[in-house]
Amino acid sequence: MTVPAESAISERAIVIAAQRGSDEAFAALVRLHQRRAYAVTRAIVLSHEDAEDAVQEGFLHAHRALDRFRPDQPFGAWLYRIMANAALDLVRRRKVRDADELPESIPMPFRDPAESGELRERLQAALTRLTDRQRAVIVMHDVEGFTHGEIGRTLGIPEGTARSDLHHARAALRRLLQDIRSTS
Amino acid sequence: MTHDRWTNGDSELTDALRVLYAAPAEESYWNALEARILDYVARCDERSVWWTELADMIRPGLIAAAALILAASLAMARSEQLEARNAYATLIAPSPASVEPSTRAASVGDGDMAIHYLLSR
Repeated sequence: MTVPAESAISERAIVIAAQRGSDEAFAALVRLHQRRAYAVTRAIVLSHEDAEDAVQEGFLHAHRALDRFRPDQPFGAWLYRIMANAALDLVRRRKVRDADELPESIPMPFRDPAESGELRERLQAALTRLTDRQRAVIVMHDVEGFTHGEIGRTLGIPEGTARSDLHHARAALRRLLQDIRSTS
Repeated sequence: MTHDRWTNGDSELTDALRVLYAAPAEESYWNALEARILDYVARCDERSVWWTELADMIRPGLIAAAALILAASLAMARSEQLEARNAYATLIAPSPASVEPSTRAASVGDGDMAIHYLLSR
């Protein structure tokens, strides 16, 4: 996630232009960061559609708060923190709306769990058993390659907490999926 | 041979997570998402400008309404005060019909008194 110095300078110029009200500059920032922003929100919410909604909402918040951003700071870190907050807000709203309880145990199918569709379903179900933060940490680390420090800054938690969340998330997934066996 | 999928290390778990969370790869998807984001931001900003203008109009309107309510309350209080004062004045003013017969009662006879009373009505 390290940004080369040259591109950091040009990004700074784009940010300043966007702060002065340039729509083109803001569009350039969206183009530059939307993939990473999607990755952050996708790690927190449970579906692709929710991730898109959170990205959209996050960019709106960023646009409105742009004049409060100090251009000497890394723009990405600031933006991804906003994205993470937008995603967490969405998760909270969804929880209030879908007051239905999650089943106490994950269903144990009789079919061969090695079938990819089924495996995916089981993993998805297992991920819902993690806390929002644990899920976000493991996805950001294992899927998107964020470092513990980057995860901590994005989610607003200490680096050590990100590290221990990752450990607990992995342990929980192993425990929840231990009955899935494959033949080799 | 059967083995535990997840105790072989975390690589299989990571692979499964990557498949599950894979972001769309098509460039057209990202172009569409960018357009959607920019459109959403523009629409929300327009709405926010509209609300700001409305709020600007509402503020003086509210002040004028408050001033009107205050003026109406003052006028009502004043008219109530006047009404009360008039009612009091009417109450304490001497009534010619009831006082005259009683003051003259001592000096005139019963017959005259009756005539005076009838004439006074």
